[in-house]
Amino acid sequence: MSRVVAGSRLRVDPVACEGVGLCAQVADRVVELDRWGYPVLAADLVDGADVRAARRAVRACPRRALWVEEPDASS
Amino acid sequence: MTDTTTFPEVGTRVRGARVLLSDVVLDAHGPADPTGHARAESLTAHLDRVGPRPTGTPALVEVLDRAGLSGHGGAHVPAASKWRRVLAGDGHLTVVANGAESEPVAAKDGTLLRQRPHLVIDGLLLTAEALGARRAVIWLHGDDRGARKALRAALAERPWSPSAPAVEIVDGPVHYLAGEASAITQAVAGGPALPTVRRRPEPGAPRTLVHNVETLARLALLARGYPPSGTRLLTVLGDGRAVVEVDASTTFTELLVDLGWAEAPQAVLLGGYGGLWAPWTRLAGLPVDEGVLRGEGLSLGAGVVAPLGAWACGVKQTAGLVAYLASMSARQCGPCVFGLPALAESTLALADGRRGAGVDRLLDDAAAVEGRGACHHPDGATRLIASATSTFADDIAAHAAGRPCRGTAEVWPGVSR
Repeated sequence: MSRVVAGSRLRVDPVACEGVGLCAQVADRVVELDRWGYPVLAADLVDGADVRAARRAVRACPRRALWVEEPDASS
Repeated sequence: MTDTTTFPEVGTRVRGARVLLSDVVLDAHGPADPTGHARAESLTAHLDRVGPRPTGTPALVEVLDRAGLSGHGGAHVPAASKWRRVLAGDGHLTVVANGAESEPVAAKDGTLLRQRPHLVIDGLLLTAEALGARRAVIWLHGDDRGARKALRAALAERPWSPSAPAVEIVDGPVHYLAGEASAITQAVAGGPALPTVRRRPEPGAPRTLVHNVETLARLALLARGYPPSGTRLLTVLGDGRAVVEVDASTTFTELLVDLGWAEAPQAVLLGGYGGLWAPWTRLAGLPVDEGVLRGEGLSLGAGVVAPLGAWACGVKQTAGLVAYLASMSARQCGPCVFGLPALAESTLALADGRRGAGVDRLLDDAAAVEGRGACHHPDGATRLIASATSTFADDIAAHAAGRPCRGTAEVWPGVSR
């Protein structure tokens, strides 16, 4: 089910994000935390494992601050 | 310690025809109230000067495209591409004239609203009609009484127009980020005036189009068939501020000499506190033309020109500016809330020549916040720092080696120390 759309990205709403950090726990291949505990996201999701990790991060976020964006639907 | 300038020459020389405003002198900070008297143009005078306002139609987008009109709020986004994005949607549309210029030095929008309120209102109504907007809003800083007074008087003079919505004047908070487009979008929809992130727009979702007031004034002239104007509105900082309209072919040397500068500055801050430093040696012969400046990796942003005297310390000046930007965070996004104070602290450490401070640490801190806010506020600070490291490279090297210069920072509006 982990279809990879070229140019898909994991995105964060930095207003909603409170630096809880669960995203990096469940998806360290696409999320790192900065020195203050806020997520720094991979530039692009390049393979199925990236996409699965990104979706885990989206589900894990208690602030619902993350989403996966596919390129054609955005501006 | 002041070799700043008192603008003796304002309004005495003309470089190209003025189409938008007459030059004025203002206090160094605060709303754009001129030190002398500058009258708002009446409806009669406005109509005598530019003729009646045509009705706005979607075909106007082609006129904007051909004229290459871009946003004069600072980002210079082509107006036509904003219109096309709006035309692609179908939700309830609000158009906003953004008169909340927030850069502490900037005053050209406030000056325009005080002198040519009808031209700005024309641009707003043309846009509202052309795009089928249901609301037309003029967004101001809450403390901008002069602009509000001029606009209220202008609206009271105008006959009711059945084809356009009634114009609402909305007072925003007095804050640096109150003029940010996503903050305005949220505020006119009834929310707080704070920047937001736009996730995927849903079909039928309400749409908001925010144009800077100068952009709308220019649009009102283009719609009447005027050719694109080759002028720039600039706010120049000296001992006070001057708002001038000059031809885009004017060089920075000509601009400052005309305004009475006797001595060359060492560098100029372009665009505002969230703008870019440029060394005078590089800038002196360049015109105040956005296209040319872009080619040089520079931008006039919101039209702020702030020269730094030869005796001043650019590193200390930058430390003050970064501290100002840190204090103006909306305090919503972690990277901005924590990153900008860290950035301000490392800039200050460098300015003081403290042990362990250096350009590498500064650029590391900058990289940690670049592009990570809901709005571009942190990016303004990181770009400012990057431009400072190249503009004041020698001075910074001396500071980093523990040999800070004797120069001090100039007193600029809103900047302590």
